[in-house]
Amino acid sequence: MARPPGQFRQGWHRLCRNRSGLLGLSLVAFVVLVALIGPEFAPYTPNDQSAMLSFTAKGAPTWAHLFGTDRNGYDVLTRVIYGAPTALAVGLGAMLVASVIGILVGGIAGYLGGTADELLMRFTEFFLVIPVFIMILAVVRLFSIVVVGTPLERLPFLNLATIIVLLGLFGWPPIARLARAEFLRLKNMDFVEAARCIGAQPRDILFRHILPNALPSLVVVIALGIGGAILSESMISFLGFGDPKAISWGQLLYFNYEVLRVSPWAVLAPGGAIFITVLGFNLLADGLSDAFNPRLKQ
Amino acid sequence: MVGILRYLIRRLLFSMLLVLGVSAIIFFLLNAIGNPVDVLMADNPGITDQALAAVKAYYHLDAPVWQRYLIWLGHVAQLDFGTSISTNLPVGGMLLTFGAETLKLQIPAILLALLMAIAFAAVAAVRQYSRTDFGVMSAALFGHSLPGFLLGVLLILIFAYWLGIFPSYGAYSTRNPLMGSYVIDGAWHMVLPLTMLTVFNTATLTLLLRANLVDVLRQDFIMAARASGLPERRVVFHHALRNAIIPVLTYLGILFGLMLATAPVTESVFTWPGAGALYLSAIQALDYPLIMGETMVVTVMLVGFTLLTDLAYVLIDPRIRLD
Amino acid sequence: MTDVPPLLNVRNLKVHFFTQAGVAPAVDGIDFRVNPRETLGLVGESGSGKTMASLAVLRLVPPPARIVSGSIEFQNRDLLTLDEAALRDLRGKHVAMIFQNPAYSLNPIFTIGDQLTEILRWHEPVSRTAARDRAADLLRLVGIADPLQRLRQFPHELSGGMKQRICIARALLCNPALILADEPTTNLDVTIQAQILDLLAELRDRLRMAMLLVSHDMGVVARMAHRITVVYAGRTCETGDARTIFHTPQHPYTRALLESTPRIDHDYEHATRPTLRTIGGRIPNLATPPTGCRFHPRCAEATEECAQLRPVPFEVAPGHSVSCLKRGSPGVAA
Repeated sequence: MARPPGQFRQGWHRLCRNRSGLLGLSLVAFVVLVALIGPEFAPYTPNDQSAMLSFTAKGAPTWAHLFGTDRNGYDVLTRVIYGAPTALAVGLGAMLVASVIGILVGGIAGYLGGTADELLMRFTEFFLVIPVFIMILAVVRLFSIVVVGTPLERLPFLNLATIIVLLGLFGWPPIARLARAEFLRLKNMDFVEAARCIGAQPRDILFRHILPNALPSLVVVIALGIGGAILSESMISFLGFGDPKAISWGQLLYFNYEVLRVSPWAVLAPGGAIFITVLGFNLLADGLSDAFNPRLKQ
Repeated sequence: MVGILRYLIRRLLFSMLLVLGVSAIIFFLLNAIGNPVDVLMADNPGITDQALAAVKAYYHLDAPVWQRYLIWLGHVAQLDFGTSISTNLPVGGMLLTFGAETLKLQIPAILLALLMAIAFAAVAAVRQYSRTDFGVMSAALFGHSLPGFLLGVLLILIFAYWLGIFPSYGAYSTRNPLMGSYVIDGAWHMVLPLTMLTVFNTATLTLLLRANLVDVLRQDFIMAARASGLPERRVVFHHALRNAIIPVLTYLGILFGLMLATAPVTESVFTWPGAGALYLSAIQALDYPLIMGETMVVTVMLVGFTLLTDLAYVLIDPRIRLD
Repeated sequence: MTDVPPLLNVRNLKVHFFTQAGVAPAVDGIDFRVNPRETLGLVGESGSGKTMASLAVLRLVPPPARIVSGSIEFQNRDLLTLDEAALRDLRGKHVAMIFQNPAYSLNPIFTIGDQLTEILRWHEPVSRTAARDRAADLLRLVGIADPLQRLRQFPHELSGGMKQRICIARALLCNPALILADEPTTNLDVTIQAQILDLLAELRDRLRMAMLLVSHDMGVVARMAHRITVVYAGRTCETGDARTIFHTPQHPYTRALLESTPRIDHDYEHATRPTLRTIGGRIPNLATPPTGCRFHPRCAEATEECAQLRPVPFEVAPGHSVSCLKRGSPGVAA
């Protein structure tokens, strides 16, 4: 039929037996948990600079401050916890934008074929070649200048939102390529033919029949993309182009890199957080890939 | 032969279109923000009207945007990138100097990575499922997932700060070059950043190459080669590797592009005076000619590299048909 | 028993698969021998272990399978104890192999000429031009016109039949005494199959080579083999010369195989006998094989002792041996 009934459950079973995929899933689950309820349990508020006042800023980890304090006297553990929701917002937000654009472009290209396909794929290639990271840096900087003096300036987290949207706007080509390949492969399958025979509209065919079957492969690329988006944002913030009002791990790195020698934990903690999050998504993507397309392991 | 030539010309034309497109986007974007005159006025409040007029004339600020773009393109075609606003030096010269520093790291990084990946992947693929294989692949996965700049920070922390072996920043010592030679001094400064870049590249290439090698080694023609009496080394390196490495070569272009694009981060971590760091300061200072010039050069390099690797693919694999 | 010592003598060969799910005995005690200038047909269904047995001769068994025990003697040398150098000398030079799928047994990125001359120059000290000439000679021998042109081409530019001819030529490069042919015509068009078989027969006669022909197709074997060994589920069922096997098969499996092979001189629509029979049941799961005689679950004549005892080869006539309790084989505890 249209929906793949056993495909997802089968995939789930295979994923559970794949050790690295399971590890990835646990890491991701852990980060999500921290993002959701971590702020409730954080020892301090993220903007608490009391350590500064008691001259224990840049202090090593103690029982009071499990990850130490950073350059401005903030508690590192608290800030790292508060960085988790930001990271997830970045990853999911960027991939949401990228998925919508990518699936639309790739799906239509794969389904229609012909000149539409050619045009859309050239368009995709164009975006693939652009030096994405550099462009984002330029646009973020320029955008932040443009909004000065405009009402937009007062929007909260505008800078972060800009970064998220830009990451999505530049991150869709891999999704489009895969979507195109999948739609191309699926559109000639029997069940699509059957749907057409009973008079289904193209829109129906695309969304209710082909898309669900393309999802397994797409989910893998999207998982990888989430990790990539989080990594990109952390690099952008590390260079100082991030949103000063948002707490992100990259920002923490930026603030504390100068005092790396004196307070390495202030850099290592957010760095470690970035690492396990990206690793988690990478392993999860790997596991999902094996789960949905098992390769013959003897 | 004819097919290859036609393919080459088509790709070349498309690449040029790409480069033009990217440059146009950046140019119009930048001009939407402001213009060199405003920046100058902001930086130099005491600037004379005469000087301002000269600048206006130089940048043709009276002409509409698209005209200015074409004029700029014309200059670029003659390799004239203008003068940097922030340093008053010719942009072309700056790009060469700083670019050389960047390439000094990146080219060895990718070449070393390729060699090491071949070695690791060969060992792992031949001993598939053994502990060696598992060890190599876990290390590769780790190296691939560890964000480059974090590794860089760790390297500095451990080897520069705690152990004090390598310098923690810069490409050269400002005084007292190591062992009296600037060459040795430069090489010594290169070790940590080069390691950082090479680790990620090696890990990624190893993952790819081993997967391909394992697939190729399972093929019948490999068994046939062994059945013909050829020694194992020849079977693996001549027959199997050549097949397995073809898709990896394409990936080299992507890796190089990635390194180039994230050069600002790499060079921030190590305070390396390369093109990435140059770009950062250019953006901060809104140095239009420099931004435009650098974006152009980087895009051309990326596009060029992609073209080269595609061409290599076509030349090496006789099965590719070019229609 | 013949007086001439066999060229290839395989005794009690066991090749097991070692997987995470357990150990599967793909080859569980097979015996066969190939005499000089003779073609032995190794016949069985897919999964009977015949391909593994042929790979074992050249010690090409791919992991996770391994040769566990048995002996393989070629020209009175024990192949299982050969060192690497001797093995490399043996392969391609004294014993050569032709694989099942010509589409995949040639390296796609090198020219035919490169691949052939490489093998030649590895085994013998010849110059590049001499090697190329010899390769061209061999291509002519296997019926390829314009060999010099072919040498410059890549595998994907050639048809399946042509590729298999080239693979045959590759096997003949160094004048081997024994050819191992694993289903050489299975993956070819039916029309080409006959040509290739004729070619093989002509070449082996002209060059006085022995051949081990592995096949599931009784028709192919009937045409090519002097003697036949029938295998089932990793064990030998029956061995004898081709005429005897076809006219007076003893083992129930052999009989069933022959009865299930369509014959052009039989009218199946109208006659009540002979009918085209099938063998009921399925080949056993290698990991959990039946006890005793492997064939007993599908055998019409099976009795209780067939499930308990493993039959040992028993000579019912000179040169004709059967492994069946019902034909006189002694049994050993399985």
